[in-house]
Amino acid sequence: MSNAKIKVAVIGTGNIGTDLCERLLKDSKFEVKAFVGRRPTSSGLMRMRGRVPNLLEAGVEALESLWHEIDGVFDATSASAHPQHWSIAQRHKKWIIDLTPSRIGKPLVPVLIDKTPKMRISMDHVANYSMVTCGGQSSAAIIYAITKNAKLVEEVEISSSIASLSAGPATRENIDEYIDSTENMAMLLTGCSAVKSILVLNPVDPPVMMRTTVHVRAANFNLARIIHESRDLVAKVKNYVPGYDLVVEPYVAGSGQISATVKVLGSGYYLPQYSGNLDIINAAAVETAKQHVHFSHLSRERIAT
Amino acid sequence: MISFYDVTLRDGNHAMRHSLTPEFVREYCQIAELSGVWAVEVGHGNGIGASSFLVGKAKSDDRSLLTAARDNLKKVKLAIHAIPGFATVKRDIIPAIKAGVDIFRIGTHVTEVSTAQKHIEYLSGEDKTVHGVLMMSHAIDLKGLVSQAKLLVDYGASAVVLMDSAGNYVPKDVALRVNALKKEIGVQVGFHAHNNLGVGVSNAISAIENDATIIDGSSMGLGAGAGNASLESIIVNYRRTDSTAPSLDKFLEMSYLVETRFPEYLPRTTSSSIQSGDAGVFSGFAPQVRQIATEFGLSQEDLWQEMGKRRLVAGQESMIREIAQDLMNL
Repeated sequence: MSNAKIKVAVIGTGNIGTDLCERLLKDSKFEVKAFVGRRPTSSGLMRMRGRVPNLLEAGVEALESLWHEIDGVFDATSASAHPQHWSIAQRHKKWIIDLTPSRIGKPLVPVLIDKTPKMRISMDHVANYSMVTCGGQSSAAIIYAITKNAKLVEEVEISSSIASLSAGPATRENIDEYIDSTENMAMLLTGCSAVKSILVLNPVDPPVMMRTTVHVRAANFNLARIIHESRDLVAKVKNYVPGYDLVVEPYVAGSGQISATVKVLGSGYYLPQYSGNLDIINAAAVETAKQHVHFSHLSRERIAT
Repeated sequence: MISFYDVTLRDGNHAMRHSLTPEFVREYCQIAELSGVWAVEVGHGNGIGASSFLVGKAKSDDRSLLTAARDNLKKVKLAIHAIPGFATVKRDIIPAIKAGVDIFRIGTHVTEVSTAQKHIEYLSGEDKTVHGVLMMSHAIDLKGLVSQAKLLVDYGASAVVLMDSAGNYVPKDVALRVNALKKEIGVQVGFHAHNNLGVGVSNAISAIENDATIIDGSSMGLGAGAGNASLESIIVNYRRTDSTAPSLDKFLEMSYLVETRFPEYLPRTTSSSIQSGDAGVFSGFAPQVRQIATEFGLSQEDLWQEMGKRRLVAGQESMIREIAQDLMNL
């Protein structure tokens, strides 16, 4: 991989976009060229004064003169705005990482990139990756570890509990879409059609850390291998989500049933630490960008030789 | 005029570890149809769409239970409970409309009403009777309770039901809360008791005395944890004050059916239920607490106490194991 920095723009100056921007500014592999909002009074934009060269307050249209300076964009706006952003990015031949629940991009969980063809990085520079949901990001490694070491997977279930304070109006309003999207990821990953996802909000103060429990029912499984593979994958996720931990190791929860629980503590860049559910999406987005640039760069080099 | 709302075939399904069958639903509904109850609620203990490893797999699916009930209820309304986060409009609520459900109760933890907005708006847009349910209603102050109830009404709920999911209230708490809602919101108020402290029936009576008009109960109190207020006891109490109250016969018949058919599932107030009720922990955790306490060799009391400290909400069943692990490592 070349040592040139990855030049990016972040669209969306809400909590997610601001946290993402903070994270990218602290990562030596990235250079944030622009931070794009819709209101000059946005607290996110004000926070980045003097830290990001182009603070744009008139939406994506304002990016027009800067496209030649950037490699790709992160979209932290909304599912309804994403299609337009994707079409502009394509016109300018840029990749986009979608943090909205639009489900337009290819679902991607970074830890599984080299594990399964379902999560492979695009060889084209122009690509759209969806970060799925927090339930999807936090469960995928465990689902993979269990189902890879099981035969005849009959059912997969993902249940997450998050702090009420970490669930903004969009999450609340789109709770059905959240469930759908998480279930789709599990279906894609396992090929099993009996999938279920559950989301629970806990208002307790001090706020709870995110927990995700995976249940799998299968005809046969190898528990020792599942435990080994889970530990290994959790360690790999920890490389990009430091607060990710296996709190209940895979165990036999009933006849033909395996269950395990992970906890996600946020990194606290801008969002509070109890927002592990948002942190894991942002962390996955940053890691996806690195992997995409790395792989699509390699493929360009191969084509060139 | 009080609408008696029978939750035996829904909350009772918690006590039965979700083993309810269409055959029993049929048999029960045939008596309920003649009893004078206003509605019969049917489904998984956590409502339609909730069958899961997390909170318990149902033996029979929603569809077969609802169909069995629908076929046997004509005058009496068929009702469901649905919790956003478990049930979705597309997967669960639309099929329930197709199955002929009359009353849709959408429930959330008392502070999380905004997760129910789309579900309530959808049902009210379809011209269905939709009620908002505040679960764990003890876990908020009065002002918060009223503002959450108002949201439900804004979304389109035509009634607000207070659930005492932890069985935490004593009669004066019920009076205070029902009164506050009656004063502040312009729709019917309902009350759903749990008998953890042994005062479920007294709480239901207190709700009636304070002008709640939808009163939940179940035959033999069959329900989560220490069970609900027993419907037959509510009726016999209520009959002393209102000559138009339904007669007792069919309620006793339903209660006898439950008593003789499911002796192993009959709930009761125990030292552990008093402790969990007083600590304000969700009653539905009881089977998992029993199982995990035995597995880890812990006392149920210690587990309940720690769960009370961490203020778990319904749907966090998988935390019980983690808490047990933590207690073992202390």
